[in-house]
Amino acid sequence: MAKEYLDPDETGKQALLKILNLCRTYIMGEMRVPALQNVSFDIGRKYPEFVAIMGKSGSGKSTLLHQLGFLDTPTSGEIIIGGKNVLKMSETQKARFRLERFGYVFQEYALLPELTALENIYLPAMALGRKKDEYFKAAREVLGQVGLGERLDHRPREMSGGEQQRVAIARALINKPDILFADEPAANLDSISSKQVLELFRKLNREMGLTVLMVTHEPEDRNYVDRVIWLKDGELDKMEEK
Amino acid sequence: MLSDHKLALFLAQKSITKGNKGTLGLTIFIMSLVFVNSVFVSSLFLGLTNTINDQIINTVYGTVVIEPKKDEKFIDDVYSLKQKISRVPGVKGVSAQYIMGSVMSYKDKSGAWSVYSINPDDEITVTTTHNFIIDGEYLSKLDENDILLGKEIAGGYGGDDESRSLGGVKTGDSIDVLFNNGIKRTYRVKGIFGVNFQRSDNIAYISQKEMTSVTGMEDKASQILIRTEDVGNEGQFIKQFLELGINEKIKPWQDYASMVKEITQSFDIISMLISGIGLFVAGVTIFIIIYMNTISKRRQIGISRAVGIKESVIINSYFIQALFIVMSGIIMGLLIVFYIVAPWFIAHPLDFPMGSVSLLILPESVFINATSLIIAALAAGLIPSMMAVRETIIESMWGD
Repeated sequence: MAKEYLDPDETGKQALLKILNLCRTYIMGEMRVPALQNVSFDIGRKYPEFVAIMGKSGSGKSTLLHQLGFLDTPTSGEIIIGGKNVLKMSETQKARFRLERFGYVFQEYALLPELTALENIYLPAMALGRKKDEYFKAAREVLGQVGLGERLDHRPREMSGGEQQRVAIARALINKPDILFADEPAANLDSISSKQVLELFRKLNREMGLTVLMVTHEPEDRNYVDRVIWLKDGELDKMEEK
Repeated sequence: MLSDHKLALFLAQKSITKGNKGTLGLTIFIMSLVFVNSVFVSSLFLGLTNTINDQIINTVYGTVVIEPKKDEKFIDDVYSLKQKISRVPGVKGVSAQYIMGSVMSYKDKSGAWSVYSINPDDEITVTTTHNFIIDGEYLSKLDENDILLGKEIAGGYGGDDESRSLGGVKTGDSIDVLFNNGIKRTYRVKGIFGVNFQRSDNIAYISQKEMTSVTGMEDKASQILIRTEDVGNEGQFIKQFLELGINEKIKPWQDYASMVKEITQSFDIISMLISGIGLFVAGVTIFIIIYMNTISKRRQIGISRAVGIKESVIINSYFIQALFIVMSGIIMGLLIVFYIVAPWFIAHPLDFPMGSVSLLILPESVFINATSLIIAALAAGLIPSMMAVRETIIESMWGD
């Protein structure tokens, strides 16, 4: 894993992810709705961070995560990874970048219902062009990391919410990403499963050096993270170091 | 690139095998019906045209016809001409016919028909009318007072225009025939034939010997019919006949089939229209099915793109699904055509005024129909999947 923050530039430590004046405005008919306004911050300057993005409903949390994860395109601003403004990449380059360096976990698990748990997990590895024995090996590794060893031949609808979310996390990890984006990953889970998911993120961050950016609205989730980025009305409200 | 194709195949295979089997089965069945319909329509029209062509060759003209020279009424030296023609390799039969107009009467019914004189021994080498005797017997060379009537003349045998017939003449009955030259004869009806082709069933035959006694002319003919072993190479035979020094007019059977040409052209247009509409319906059907499929899988498409699967891979997977549906439909359609429809029509041909019509299924026609359906289906399958990946990932995953 090439972590850019391990290579300091002449100005000091280089952030893994840096965003500058990020704006996202939605146009609805003749109305312009600013969802994000001039948001700037760094992630992973000193070490792999576990960061929570928090704020009230409609504050722009998920919108911000979507911009950072290339799921949506900002109206203006820069997203710099490894010193490069990645927004200048073509769609094909972005897709490749996403596949190689990002992992995603969504609130509704977002698994493909026609695939088994195992197939869902190794799909991104297949998409990367890895050989069958390689992606099976990688799948076994991530299954160990997320603590899921059974029911792999079951399809998502035959699994519990906690199991489905762990499949989704395993899928996000299979290509050994630099950053894991999680959009309210525990919102649909019971308290026990929710705790397991957050502990797993913490473990992945601490032990595997994975940077995790998580949108959440649960105040107690702050206990697991290094930093909280608070948003308010689409703007950066405050930073809360833990 | 190879891994992209493998991934597209993987996603398509999962969608087909793990998706809704009922919808998939119904879609394939609809495709098969569209294919059967297009093959059926074109094969039926081909069968109709083929039947007319066969009837013209088998019951009226043979494959090549010799007519009198320009400004002459008859062909002279018929015997020696026949000898010459018979010697050409590939000629199966030669029959000279003398044709005379007549008015036939039976009881209170009468009508105008042509009487053809033939040498029955020669005629059976060219035409197949002798195989369609529905009452009595065929003519023989020595018959003098006998006449063979087509069923349209005799009446009572299910002809197409009974009102113009003699109203039910049977074998053994006597009819009066007033020839164009004013000579009147009474003939015993020796037999009645029905080839189910109106043009042929309106002919009456007498022997050459009898015609000679009516006209007082020998070794003359109105036309000489030639039957070659194969149909389709008439041009080569005509060239050979010309090289033999035959100066009479020589025509291929197609020159007499102007009616068929018009019918064939009309059938081709109808066939194209019906096939075109069928293909359009098939295209729209596949479009709707794939469109509904992509709408219902909009979120899945978004998820696939979110995890990094390329748009081209997603489009390809839908392309493969459309290909699978249309190919399965064609295979099922072929089974229906060759194991159900074709055997049924062979056993139960349709009765048309030009004869019994069955399907004529030509490989090239099947190929064209299959290719057209594949193109229509793939185009219809591609458009909705391309529309689906044009949305942003967020719209696909969470849009309305």
